[in-house]
Amino acid sequence: MNHPGLGSESAASPAVATLSRRRFLHVSSTATAAFAAPQVITSRLFGQGAPSNRITLGLIGAGNIGVAHLDTLLGYQDTVRVLGVCDVDRERRESAAVRINHEYGSNDCRPYADFRELNRRREIDAVLICTPDHWHALTALDAIRQGKDLYVEKPLTLTIAEGRALVDEARKYGRVVQHGTWQRSMKRFHDLVEFVRDGGLGKLHYVECLIGANNRHVGATWQPEAVPEGLDWDMWLGPAPWRPYTFYGCHYNFRFIAENASGQMTNLGAHCLDIGQWVLDMDRSGPVEIEGHGDYPTSGLFTTPTRIDVTFRYASGVPMYCRTDLTVNGNNTSRFFGERGWLDIGYSKMSASDPNLLRAMQAPNKRVQVPSSKNHYEDFFAAMRTRQRTIADAETAHRTTTICNLGQIAMALGRKLRWNPEREEFVGDEMANRLRSRPMRAPWSLVHDLA
Amino acid sequence: MAASKSTSPQPIQPLDAERSVRGASHLNRTAQTPDPWKLCATLEYGSDRTFATTVEKLVTQTAPRDWPKIEEQLIGTLALPECTEAGRAFLCRMLALVGSAKSVPALTTLIRNPKTADAARTALEIIPGPEAGAALRDALASLPGNAKAGLIGSLAARRDAAARPALTSLKNQTAESAIVRGTAARALETIPLS
Repeated sequence: MNHPGLGSESAASPAVATLSRRRFLHVSSTATAAFAAPQVITSRLFGQGAPSNRITLGLIGAGNIGVAHLDTLLGYQDTVRVLGVCDVDRERRESAAVRINHEYGSNDCRPYADFRELNRRREIDAVLICTPDHWHALTALDAIRQGKDLYVEKPLTLTIAEGRALVDEARKYGRVVQHGTWQRSMKRFHDLVEFVRDGGLGKLHYVECLIGANNRHVGATWQPEAVPEGLDWDMWLGPAPWRPYTFYGCHYNFRFIAENASGQMTNLGAHCLDIGQWVLDMDRSGPVEIEGHGDYPTSGLFTTPTRIDVTFRYASGVPMYCRTDLTVNGNNTSRFFGERGWLDIGYSKMSASDPNLLRAMQAPNKRVQVPSSKNHYEDFFAAMRTRQRTIADAETAHRTTTICNLGQIAMALGRKLRWNPEREEFVGDEMANRLRSRPMRAPWSLVHDLA
Repeated sequence: MAASKSTSPQPIQPLDAERSVRGASHLNRTAQTPDPWKLCATLEYGSDRTFATTVEKLVTQTAPRDWPKIEEQLIGTLALPECTEAGRAFLCRMLALVGSAKSVPALTTLIRNPKTADAARTALEIIPGPEAGAALRDALASLPGNAKAGLIGSLAARRDAAARPALTSLKNQTAESAIVRGTAARALETIPLS
């Protein structure tokens, strides 16, 4: 994939560039590229220069990650405008909206308490989804059905079934999806993929992904607390099973509660395992056997494992290990061991068994070439204009998230599982198959909609 | 712990203190060896849940041929009058893993009550077989608004073709809420004709 950069006039075909601002192109591409259900793409996606041609965004989830995205997006003022911010926490959405409007010197950005209202603003082209994991699928599906493109934080979804539904719906409605696995837009990982696939390490023996563990111990019991003013707790829970509010059960720490997320397996594992999948050329497939062991807190609010040790085996015979390792201390890393040595590549460091391997890895013009992206946001914006795939598109994102969920299920069951990546089902394990989806609290479901 | 939205670190309870607080009374209630199954029925949000962890381990590590025994235990526990909301949610989650048509009568009672319908759906949406689907369809007539939308979602997740006539009717009933009508319409897009 060689995307036109932002500002490239060649991104727009003459036919679509002539669309007026108020004229909408109703398209929906299925997997067979047929046009079907009505969708809206505003003409601003197909040209640049005038303010009306800026990409318009909505931010759903204005917590730590959402605000971090905002910091970057506000640097794209010539090409991008954030027109809405949604959060169930009033303080978060209002402070984000005030900040955006201050930066823009306007009042165009509106705060929303309900993502469905933001998704129904027709002048918004795309949404960035930075909610807790249990909300990813529903906010994304609603956005897709309202004609929005998506940038979804990792993990793409909470369950395997949600992921498949999201991919299918994005295809049906012809929406562009970028997943928050931004390491794919770092040169070192791109180099790594081309180098290893080209046999730079000789025969690949195994892959090892090391992730840190920052689950805090917050007690073997916990007390329900009064919901803070301005927080819509019922909406924060959304599709997740009801429980009373408690400080450690909400912002940030939700990731350690199995009803809301899958712990470090999907939080940090999503990054390292994603690189492993990419190197192994498994973006449209996955492992065939998974075995996992995790240490689970036996009591208390947190219910995801504090120690992870999972082995994924691929049809090629190459295993990929994922382990928590306190020594990595946040510098999650993916290591590749082959007959010519090893490469250890993380986002903040890289090393090798031989410095020549690193030099060879970074050399240009390799025989094997894979799609490249120099900037995760710009790759998304370019794909919105060209309607091409992003570097971390929906199917890739789903497969990466699936491998995390396979690990989580294998640890929960504590036995070896066989997986059919084509059919996306476990072989010979009914219980594991029942864990591919999770029923949602009413009124939410994968078919939730407003008449 | 204060009900504060501050992001500053909160005091973390020392482990020794926890042993004397909520939930530990379960273990002191009688002189007999505690029965983890029965204790699951009285699970409270935030209380000690070590017995639930034990039961979950038992459930997940039971071979399919022994699921009926586990299912029977879960159904019996679910019927205890002292069963709490948290206990019911946990037991239904376990039934989703091993449940069969035998669980459906107990879950049918729960699904007709809006207060317990979500817990019941946790199991009924997952349990295979026509009995679970029929229980979900039958409840459409008795549940209101949001709970009904949840039911529709479960029927869609099951790809329950037998639900199509009822969903078609709901989609067109102006007396129903926008969520019920919209969810029914969307469900019909995903449920095959047969």
